[in-house]
Amino acid sequence: MADSNPIKINKEFVRILEDKKSVSRGWMWFFGLVILVGLVAFVMQVVYGHEVTGMRDNVVWGVYIINFIFFVGVSYSGAFISGILHFFDTPWKSAVARIVEIITVLSLVIGPIFILLCIGRLDRLHYLFIYPRIQSPITWDVIAIITDLVGCFIYLYLTFIPDFAILRDNEDLNVAPWRKKMYRFLAINYKDTPEQKATLKKITRTMSAMIIAMAIVAYTVLAWIFSLTLQPGWNSTIFAPYFIIAGLYSGVGVIIICMFLIRKYLRLEHYIRKVHFVGAGIILLILALLFGYFTFSEYFARWFSHKTNDINLLDTLFDDYFWQFIFANYIGGLVPAIILFFKRFRTINFITFAAVIAVLGLWLNRYLIVVPTLETPYLPIQDTRPEFIHYTATWVEWALSFAGIAAFCLMFMLLIRFVPVIPVSELHEDMTNAKKKAQIKANKK
Amino acid sequence: MKNSKSKKEHDRRKFLQLGLMSGVTAIAGGALMSGMNENQSEPEAPATDSGEKVRVLTPDGKMVEVDASSLNKYPEAHIPPAEARKGIPNRKFVMVIDLAKCKNARKCVEACQKGHNLDYHEEFMKVQLIQDNEQASPYWFPKPCFHCEEPPCVTVCPTGATYKREDNIVLIDNERCIGCKFCITSCPYSARQFNWGHKDKFDDKETPYSPETQVPAAEGTVMKCDFCPDLLRQGELPYCAKSCPMGVIYFGDMNEDIVTNGEETVRFSQLINDRGGYRHLEHLGTKPNVYYLPAVNRQFPLERGFDIDEEVKERYKDVPYVQELKKKGKI
Amino acid sequence: MKHHVKNNRFPFRQLIILLLILQYGNVGYGQEEEFDLGAYRVRFSVQTTKNPDQTRTFGVEYYVQNKKDRKDRIPVKDAEIIFYNSTENEEVKLGSASTDVEGVAELNVPDSQKYMTDEEGLINVEARFEGSADLKNQTESVTFKDLFLKLELEEIDSVKTVTVRAFTLDSLQNEIPEDDIDVIVSVGGMLSRMPIEEETTDEGSFEIEFPDDIRGDKDGNFKVFAFVDDSDDFGTVLASEDSDWGVFDDISKPPKNELWTEAAPIWMYVVLTILLVGVWANYVYTLIKLRSISKST
Repeated sequence: MADSNPIKINKEFVRILEDKKSVSRGWMWFFGLVILVGLVAFVMQVVYGHEVTGMRDNVVWGVYIINFIFFVGVSYSGAFISGILHFFDTPWKSAVARIVEIITVLSLVIGPIFILLCIGRLDRLHYLFIYPRIQSPITWDVIAIITDLVGCFIYLYLTFIPDFAILRDNEDLNVAPWRKKMYRFLAINYKDTPEQKATLKKITRTMSAMIIAMAIVAYTVLAWIFSLTLQPGWNSTIFAPYFIIAGLYSGVGVIIICMFLIRKYLRLEHYIRKVHFVGAGIILLILALLFGYFTFSEYFARWFSHKTNDINLLDTLFDDYFWQFIFANYIGGLVPAIILFFKRFRTINFITFAAVIAVLGLWLNRYLIVVPTLETPYLPIQDTRPEFIHYTATWVEWALSFAGIAAFCLMFMLLIRFVPVIPVSELHEDMTNAKKKAQIKANKK
Repeated sequence: MKNSKSKKEHDRRKFLQLGLMSGVTAIAGGALMSGMNENQSEPEAPATDSGEKVRVLTPDGKMVEVDASSLNKYPEAHIPPAEARKGIPNRKFVMVIDLAKCKNARKCVEACQKGHNLDYHEEFMKVQLIQDNEQASPYWFPKPCFHCEEPPCVTVCPTGATYKREDNIVLIDNERCIGCKFCITSCPYSARQFNWGHKDKFDDKETPYSPETQVPAAEGTVMKCDFCPDLLRQGELPYCAKSCPMGVIYFGDMNEDIVTNGEETVRFSQLINDRGGYRHLEHLGTKPNVYYLPAVNRQFPLERGFDIDEEVKERYKDVPYVQELKKKGKI
Repeated sequence: MKHHVKNNRFPFRQLIILLLILQYGNVGYGQEEEFDLGAYRVRFSVQTTKNPDQTRTFGVEYYVQNKKDRKDRIPVKDAEIIFYNSTENEEVKLGSASTDVEGVAELNVPDSQKYMTDEEGLINVEARFEGSADLKNQTESVTFKDLFLKLELEEIDSVKTVTVRAFTLDSLQNEIPEDDIDVIVSVGGMLSRMPIEEETTDEGSFEIEFPDDIRGDKDGNFKVFAFVDDSDDFGTVLASEDSDWGVFDDISKPPKNELWTEAAPIWMYVVLTILLVGVWANYVYTLIKLRSISKST
């Protein structure tokens, strides 16, 4: 690192925290507006019932469940990656770790909200805890999400502590007094003594290992909600690994997008550099190939053995959802793979573009997993009402989807005004380690 | 087979049903008998067009409209949700549907809708037109809930709102259901339905709710065919079985090995053996409790079944045979 | 007295008015549809059933049937029907019943009722409806003899046999066997009776071999019925006898600890507990350690 001055580092990040304009007010208002529209849609749904959505007796799970799977997938992928970054002490972790962790926690907060929207009787939500049936994959999912949520919060907080300590000790910090109080409180007396450091390191490391395991288990459980049923298109043995890979794929895509935006708008080009993007890009490439491989395995086997119900499903996919299928499973996998494969294309902009394609393709892939199966049940839907034959999401569902994304962005923006978006303490440490290494080298000579 | 009774004998026997309803011990009280009569509906019963009112003559010869017998004649022995989890003791209910006789009269659909206070499009019993392959002959397929032995819907319910009882019936407790719809996605036979919005009939608190009647239903919960346990407790056949003009639906108890369609009473095991009874989608492993008798030796051509509403006819437009008929201009 | 001069011309005007009145007159009655009782034929029939507990039921079915569309039937409700046991000389009122919404009226007469018979020993019961302006009086009678059906269940040479005897009683209470009566022997189920065999009495009785694989209820009990279906001489007669010949095999044990039962398979509880305890114990440990950090100086 060029600027090996802790004070300069601090100044840079404190600037973000102090400056009220660092995070664009305009965007925050925009997101607020989108969330407001979502709230209106929510009220509509509560007052008029689920009739206002596009879901009907055959396709009973629609955009809400798709968003749920998507956000939770991003979250688990974030947990997985952040766990790996910490556990193996990878070199780039200081640049991106916090972004990843924040994505993890925020997606895990937004995701379950979507599933709550899909529940018909929200007034009875507590029945899940009073009368649970542990044979049900939904019960497993509830347990998994809650456990994961608590775990991710604890984990995120553990990584915040050293930074809070630094902020608390920074007398020049020009922020509101209540914030200074918060930093002091949240720093829990962390003074960076060797003992404290060791303890913190140990529990963080344990948590990071646990987070990796939980991410895999929890997303597997979510995949099982589909693959443990009898329905054609869902009853697949490889659904759990498929979901994990796809989740990771979308997660890395979201991480890259966030890296790009934060780098640009907070002017952190110095800290989030091309090498990080290229690294993430390579991971995205590997995941794209794996994603393509798993998707191909799924559909190819069904096509080849041509069981009646599988062929009906494929017919639905290729008749009604042709372009979505092409985008999700071909473009969504191939385009990022091609971009990232060639060194020439590995620029920050292209990599981010690839990530955007990946994320959009993934969302569509989720849609194509949930909806077509419900539209081709074993016994033919013999109905005349179009909304019972084919699912079309209504404005209520779209409004709430965008509100979810806006809420994610808004919360992210609020959070980075409160906490340094790159762990300052880590930067200090990297710098110290670099100095040490340089000294050792110098001594050797 | 006792099908060929002359109409006159049939009519005569209509009102003195003591013989048929013998399960309850020989209580020959007038009240019980008249109770039994009112729920028995025959194909030649007086037409009830609006569903709730019947035309009768007063002793003065004036015609008036009165309320038909109330939907749930069971309020005195109302089975609340907690008790509805225990089944009728020592019974294992089973249904047999004879596809050779079904001509899509849809009386089963209508009777069930009337009995459970359902709207036009809400059908616990659906009649589908199934054509297994291009060469196969299509057949009318009445499809209630199969009340499977190993029901995938019960397995996935997170709160235990749907449960399997010891008398084979799978019920839904609308006061426990949270509306997650996992059971609907889980049923391979598409037997379940969801109440998507509020309906005025939900506010009718006159009849206390019982999972055995599913009246009144509730918004945001699931409902489906329930084998009418409230009627069974009174020694009567479910609405569909007793309203079928062709005697397609047999219902009974596997423990005593007897099923009846209202006119014929036969041994269940014999019926299945003689007629090659099977279960639909057996390979899925759900072990349904509704058996089907194959559509062989059909009593009349399929086209007879198209004497129905246009809207209902439209439902079958994807069946290859129907498309052929349309081309030939037969329907 | 003044006489009107008879007009020799044909009374066209009056005729037209009369026709108009006849055509449209009944609109004034205020019926919602144009209900014309004249288009319907009245159906009034009476029936008798003897029950297993020796009581007797008399039933009347009273409805009107559209002359053109025989499927269109309208039952008469709340019509009071009075039943009489009548002979040539006298009559005894047995009771009365009102028709229900399906036009059916039933009267149950206890077995202690002594019926008057005519010279041939036949009982005559009349059902009467006192009519009104629009509905005429109705009278129908049913003449029958009191038939007794007895069922005897015996295992003869390890063959389950049911003997059915049909007889009437003469004035000295002697049994007179009745020949040529078609009786259906059936088994009682929960919802209906399942016919086993139909036979005709020969010298007042017959024997049938009863199948030995009837299930019965959980204790192996069931009822055997003998049923005479609406005979001209005796009406409908139903008799029953309890039997313990049921071969009900053990009720299969209800499933437990399956995926679809209330209690889950045991291994699920075990695995879940291990996983959750492991994870949450670590959380607690982490929090404890954090506390120790905050407490340390």
